[in-house]
This record gives sequence, C-alpha cells and structure tokens, in this order.
Amino acid sequence: MLNIKPSRILLYGLLIIFVIASLLPLWTCIVTALKSSQEVILTTPITPPIDPTMEKIIESINLLKKPLMNSLILVFSGVMVSAFFGSFIGYIFSKHRFPGSIYMFILIVLCLYIPPQVQLIPMVRTMSNLGLFGNLGALVLLYMLFGIPMCAFIFKTFYDDEIPDSYINAAKVDGAGIWTTYRRVVLPLSILPFVVAALLQVVVIWNDFIWGLVLTSGKANLPITVAMANLKGSFVAEWNLQMAGALWVSMPTLIIFIFLGKYIIRGYSGL
Amino acid sequence: MRTLNQNILFNATGVKQVEEGKKEKLIALLVILPGILSVFIFFYIFSGWNFIISLTDWEGFIPSYNIIGLKNYIQLFQDPLFWTSLKNNILLIVLFVPGVMIIGLCMAVLLDQRVRAEGIFRTIYLLPFSLSFVVTATLWSWMYSPRVGTINFILGKLGLTSLRKGWITDPNMVMYCIIIALIWQFAGYSCIIFLAGIRSIPHSQTAAAMVDGASNFTIYWRIILPQIKASFITAFIIFMCFALKAFDFIWVLNRGGPGYSAHILGVTMYKETFSFDKFAYGATYSTIILLLSLLIVVPFLFRIYKEK
Repeated sequence: MLNIKPSRILLYGLLIIFVIASLLPLWTCIVTALKSSQEVILTTPITPPIDPTMEKIIESINLLKKPLMNSLILVFSGVMVSAFFGSFIGYIFSKHRFPGSIYMFILIVLCLYIPPQVQLIPMVRTMSNLGLFGNLGALVLLYMLFGIPMCAFIFKTFYDDEIPDSYINAAKVDGAGIWTTYRRVVLPLSILPFVVAALLQVVVIWNDFIWGLVLTSGKANLPITVAMANLKGSFVAEWNLQMAGALWVSMPTLIIFIFLGKYIIRGYSGL
Repeated sequence: MRTLNQNILFNATGVKQVEEGKKEKLIALLVILPGILSVFIFFYIFSGWNFIISLTDWEGFIPSYNIIGLKNYIQLFQDPLFWTSLKNNILLIVLFVPGVMIIGLCMAVLLDQRVRAEGIFRTIYLLPFSLSFVVTATLWSWMYSPRVGTINFILGKLGLTSLRKGWITDPNMVMYCIIIALIWQFAGYSCIIFLAGIRSIPHSQTAAAMVDGASNFTIYWRIILPQIKASFITAFIIFMCFALKAFDFIWVLNRGGPGYSAHILGVTMYKETFSFDKFAYGATYSTIILLLSLLIVVPFLFRIYKEK
C-alpha cells in the first residue's frame, strides 16, 4: 500500500504551482508563435494551436537575421577577450599578490555594481571621437571591457578555493616563472571557470539592451535585442509575430540554461 | 665539500630566482595592465567624467558647454518629474526587493526538503532569468494585454470578471504590474542564492537538532536562517542595485508610460538625455543613481574584504 504523507503532497503541490507560474508566460509565447493571425483572435492565449504554422516563425527570423549575426559576433569577441584577461588577472590577484592588490581587486569587484547609466554619456562621446558611434565596432569594444570584472572575480574565486598555493610554489621551485606556471599548471586546471565565465558572459552580452540601444543605429548594426524591441514597437497588434521573434531571441539562452544550467548555477552561487 | 657546493649552488639559484621573480612579476603586471587600466577608465574615469558633465550646460550632441556649477542639481530638486521618478523607484525597491527575496527563500526551503528531481525544478525556476528584458517585457505585455491577455482570460475563467483591468494601460496599476513581472523573472535567481547558502551549512548541525526533537520549522527558524546572513546580504545588494538601475524592462514595456506613471530614475535619465538631448541634465540623474548605488554597496564590500 502506497503511503504518502499529506505534507509531501502539499510540498509537491507548492513546487508545481511555482513551476506553472514560471512557465506560463513562456507557454503562451510558444503557442501564440505557432498560431496564424486569425487563430490568435479566435482562440484563447493558453490553448495550443489547432493548426500549427511556422509562418510567423519564418517571417520573424527573416526580420531578425542580420541582428542575430551581429549579436553572435558580439558574443564571440566579447567572451574571448574578457575570459582571457579575467583569467590572467584572477591568477595574478590570487597567487602573486603585490602591495595594494587587495584594494585594487575591491575596485575591480565594485565595477560590477556601477550602474550603466553613469557611463552612457561619456561612452557616446568617446565612441564618436573614435568614429565608432553607430557601428557594431563600438559594441565589440565595449563588451570586451565590460566582462573583465566579472570574469576576474569568477577566476580569482576559483583559484583561491580550488588551486592550492603549494602547486604554485612547487612549480616555482622547479624553476617555472609566472607565465610558465600559468600556462602549464593553472590553465589546464581552469576548464571549469572558463566554461562558467564564458557561459555567463554569453548570456549577459546576448541579453543586453541598453548599450545596443544607445550606441548603434541603422538597421545593419543593431544587436538582436534592440531589433526585437523595434519589432515590438512596429507591429503592435501582431502578437504572433512578436512572440515568434521573442522565441528566437530567447532560444540560445534557454538552451544554455536547460542543458548547461549546472555551470550557470555554479556561477550565480559564487562557484 | 659537496654539500657546501650544493648549498652555494642552491643559494645562488635561489637569489637568481628571486630576482627573476621580481622581473617576472613586473612583466605579469604589464600584461594585466591594459585590461585593468581600460576597466578603470571605463568604470571610474567615465563616472568622474559623467559628474563633470552634470556640472555643465551641455545640450545636444555637439559638446559646446560652460561649467555652471550645481545649477543642474538645484533644477533637479525642483523638478516634479524627478520626485515622481524617485517615488516610483522607491516603490519598486520597497516591493520588489523583499518580494523577490521572500519568494526565492520559499522556493529554496521547499527545494531543500529532499525533493525528487530537484535539479529539474531548479532549472525550471531559473528559466525566466535566462531571458532578456526585451523578451520578458514582450511576454508580459501579452500577459497583461487588456483585450486578449492571459491574465484577464484567467480571471474571466475563474469568474472574477470584476477584477479584469487594463493593467499596464492603467496608470495606477502599471508599477505593480512591472514589479510582479520582475519578481517572476528574478525569483529563481534569488532561490539559487539562498539554496547555496542553506547547502553550505554542515549537515551535522541539523541532524543534531533533529535528534533533540526539533521540528522542521524550528530547524529553519533557529538554525538555518540565522546562518545564511551572507546570502541575505548578497541577495539584498544585488536586487537593490538592480532596482536602482532598472531601465530595459520598463522602457520596452511602454516607454515608462502611460504618462509618467512608470518613470523611474533610469528611465527618466534615458529620456532626458537621448530623447530631449539634455546631456548635462541626464548626467545629473545618473550621478544620483550612482551615489545611491554606492551608498548601498561600498560599506558591504569593504566589510567583506576586511574580514578576509
């Protein structure tokens, strides 16, 4: 005889309520994206499509193709540079401290909490001086810098906790310099923080909106989030097109969270 | 003799190593310098520059300006729009920050009850946080849509037709709609922070309490919650800073409208700067946002690193 305590039923009931609340907006997004415009009017927002169609999904990707490529460029360039710098900075601050390094590191971490509004106007000014204002290049440059504090923080935390100083000292006794130790000892042990830092950066850059809005102009230069916001502005009544667009924008990060969620969670909970 | 030789040899290489170490350290510093320098320029020099801009009368895109001192700040404090934005921003902070922390904590405590398929629940709870604000604003304008939206549809199904509203088109409701949507988006993240805190407590403590006959509630209230103070502080700082700089979601939802009803500091800053080209005045808003954020973060950061 299966004997389940009522408290367990209550527990799973509550857990499932949270599941429904988390998924409901996503569910309505998916079903609406698969409906024809007529069906959107005729059916309720949560019923699945009677006659699913890919029409709007295809229409929206045609509108978002170029911005999607732009965002991919931004993600790759940004992640590469900030992960490399972050790793080396984290290594130096963790294993080769120098006078004042702790304060310098606090200043790096503090960057994570500085609101972007403060940098908007000086950044616009700088980019127009460099002749990059309005171009994708402005964003490429920006995201390279932007991720360094977060990556440095992730790597330093990891090196502090997971790589004992004795490894570094052993390498030193064997005559390895700072750079060799980094390449031969630290780097091969850094796969996990590289994955975590890279994934977090991919999500941050892909989802970012305000910088693309301010620094780029012209259809050819927009990142995907800005193009998506424009899509929302210009087709107010076409809910299925908007939802199809939203689906494309959220696809990469959803896939990352579903399949590589454990790395993301490690990043969010401080490794 | 041999040992002596070895000693000399050892010392010699030791000395050499130290010298090399210094030189190497210098080179290492030179390698990280461009990264650190550009980060510092981007975050600190720009913040200072922004403050200087706020002391000028710069309007429009071409910079030709005079220093006018604190006039912008005086104007700001007399500007009803600033007070509206501040009031809305405080409303956001007062409801969003505790709301997201309490719901996240509830999720974390529920997930801590040796739940089956815990990983799946956790992943699902975190999914809203994977989305861009542009996406969530689109999803929620569909949820709140007055005519065909999901919320009004569900209320109708439940027989609560009288509760149906225009939601985001209603100036008295729109801030609450935004707060609920943002809590929805951040709850999973909050849950992860608290769950990590709960899991870091040694199991032996709760086991000992259980042996002593403590109820589940007592264990959480007396043993676990007091020990995850660090998680509370982390969550508080993260969500406070977010609430102060929030912009994307509200802007995409309805440009801070209807009217000024959803203008918070970040939204008004953007509008003054880029819609009305009042660069200096916009910089004044950002300086205020920065000061408020620093007020929250700095004491906390220095305390954490001093303890280490």
